[in-house]
Amino acid sequence: MHIIVCIKSVIVKAPEAGMVRSHDSTELNPFDRPVLETALRIKEARGGITTALSMGPESSISVLSEARAMGLDRGVLACDPALAGSDTLATSTALAAAIDKLRPFDLVLFGTRTSDSDTGQVGPQAALLLGIPLVTQVHSIEYIDSGLYVERTVDGFIEKFELSFPAALTIHPASVQPRDIDLADIGPAFEKQDTKIWNLGDLELSPDQVGDAGSPTKVLSISKSKRHKRCEFIKGDTLEQADELIKRLAESGMIG
Amino acid sequence: MDSILSEKHRVVRRSVRRFSERELRPIAKEIDHEARFPWEVVEKMGRLGYFGIQVPKELGGADLDSLSYAIIIEEISRVCASLGLCVTVHNSVAVYPILAFGSEEQKAEWVPPLARGEKIGAFCLTEPNAGSDATGIESTAIKDGNSYVVNANKVFVTNGGVADTCLIFVQTNPGADRKEMSVVVAERGTTGFVVGDLEDLCGMRANPVSSIRLYDCRVPLKNLLGQEGQGLRIGLTALDTGRIGIAAQSAGIGQGALEEALGYARQRRQFGVPIEKHQAIQSMIAEMATLVDASKLMTYRAAALRDKGKPFSQESAMAKLFASEASSKITDMAVQIHGGYGYSKLYPVERYYRDARVTRIYEGTSEIHRMVIARGLMK
Ligand SMILES: Cc1cc2nc3c(=O)[nH]c(=O)nc-3n(C[C@H](O)[C@H](O)[C@H](O)COP(=O)(O)OP(=O)(O)OC[C@H]3O[C@@H](n4cnc5c(N)ncnc54)[C@H](O)[C@@H]3O)c2cc1C
Repeated sequence: MHIIVCIKSVIVKAPEAGMVRSHDSTELNPFDRPVLETALRIKEARGGITTALSMGPESSISVLSEARAMGLDRGVLACDPALAGSDTLATSTALAAAIDKLRPFDLVLFGTRTSDSDTGQVGPQAALLLGIPLVTQVHSIEYIDSGLYVERTVDGFIEKFELSFPAALTIHPASVQPRDIDLADIGPAFEKQDTKIWNLGDLELSPDQVGDAGSPTKVLSISKSKRHKRCEFIKGDTLEQADELIKRLAESGMIG
Repeated sequence: MDSILSEKHRVVRRSVRRFSERELRPIAKEIDHEARFPWEVVEKMGRLGYFGIQVPKELGGADLDSLSYAIIIEEISRVCASLGLCVTVHNSVAVYPILAFGSEEQKAEWVPPLARGEKIGAFCLTEPNAGSDATGIESTAIKDGNSYVVNANKVFVTNGGVADTCLIFVQTNPGADRKEMSVVVAERGTTGFVVGDLEDLCGMRANPVSSIRLYDCRVPLKNLLGQEGQGLRIGLTALDTGRIGIAAQSAGIGQGALEEALGYARQRRQFGVPIEKHQAIQSMIAEMATLVDASKLMTYRAAALRDKGKPFSQESAMAKLFASEASSKITDMAVQIHGGYGYSKLYPVERYYRDARVTRIYEGTSEIHRMVIARGLMK
């Protein structure tokens, strides 16, 4: 069993102007932590090997080391100046190329979203590029001889799928409680650096497939949105206030 | 602040912060109120390496550096100073002296269960008549056959109520030079080993600080740590390291109080605006943040020097003195910013205020620290 987990180093603070990813402004995407936990549990149940994969600048090695401190076996980073400015399609292209290079594999796991861009597109796009089946928002996994039963909840229904390997899943962030890192595992994960770094050539990609050139989406600008808050005191005696409040909530569609 | 730290140290901080927020934040108020030691969390911490932070892997520890140690104590104390106290005392003045002065057999016997948190350690120096002046101790250990017969009356023992492995400072040759003290390791459960009542403390209430008394307690000769007469050196070496921990604890308390004050100043409105808009409040917040920052820098420097194998005793004394005094000022301002609510148990700042106070007293008072620092300069 070979499980690949795609993780991202995200920007901690909302960017003021121009995004710069550096050591002290980034951390492991919190929605990826349950995904790493899921991979470790599958490994504990079925045996095999786990690979953490990320695309990003060299500072992203840190999240791969953190994944190893949590228990993953190895880290791979897709890293090349030509990858800078990649949108979700270009990112998926680079990740799919790296996953392809990591064959044979059985499962590719993604988070459902990231805390710094929140498109939810990378998992599905990469699965499509790899031509493997995908189930999103998975919250429970059951092992069967031929592969997996997985469940997800959508629109009040629970969907159950049977999957054969190789397959891709995006893991619902509330599905498992990620384990705490044992302090004893932090030193070795950071001090013994054996993260593989693959550039564009290694990935057999051309510069026009990735980065700004390979990105159909252009982010023109980023600025902080303003939240408009208004405070209003409802007048009348308690009964009138309650009636008025219920009327307003119903009108605004907040209660049915 | 974190921009000067390595990625490893930042991951240490985030891991401890996540753990403290999840496990300690929800109970910090209750365990302070009930003066209860939270075994349920301590057991988890034991499994995660918190009780053997700098212990080598082969003895069951996490084998991290001093800077990691300072960050860990800071992060625990930011949420719950009582537990920060438990962890720092256990690691720095109970386990570390065994590592530094113990024989191979002693280390192999005592360290692994301590490093896993299965046993808790304590440092028993203070007595009713010996506080700042450690040479005033009256406890004795008299050789008799294969053992020492120990009679000791130790007070204010951090972790005392739960400790299994206790470093007891004694005179083996009463009447000789008082500086010729020694350390024997006594284990709870030995006949004559009595744990006294918990101290009813102003702060750090979730730590079972208590007295420990030994009445004609027979401790095997092989439990002598180092050599007879080496006790003062063992104690001072332990305290040099311990001070980094107390400085880190003080910085963590300050950080926690600062965050509470910032949050409150944003939501509390007076004179039509959030109180954070008032210049007097801003001025306190600026002062608090600067003190926290300086405390951390001094603490990290002392830890980094220790990691480099350079002398750090003067720096750790300065860090302890500065950070402990700063934490009293910071928590005082945090209470002030909360107004009447700050003086109420509804908000956590009164706990930070009580917890901060003792950092100026234990592991050497501020007065003693000034003496030590001045002496270092006038050598
Ligand atoms: C919560 C808590 C936990 C503790 N944990 C431990 C522990 O685990 N192990 C342990 O051994 N002890 C522990 N202690 C004891 C602590 O280390 C002592 O309280 C401290 O060293 C001071 O001693 P004292 O209380 O006897 O005060 P004293 O020494 O009597 O001091 C009283 C005052 O006189 C001042 N003073 C004393 N001598 C001088 C001097 N030469 N020059 C100027 N001023 C002086 C002091 O600074 C202080 O202001 C703990 C105490 C507390 C409150």
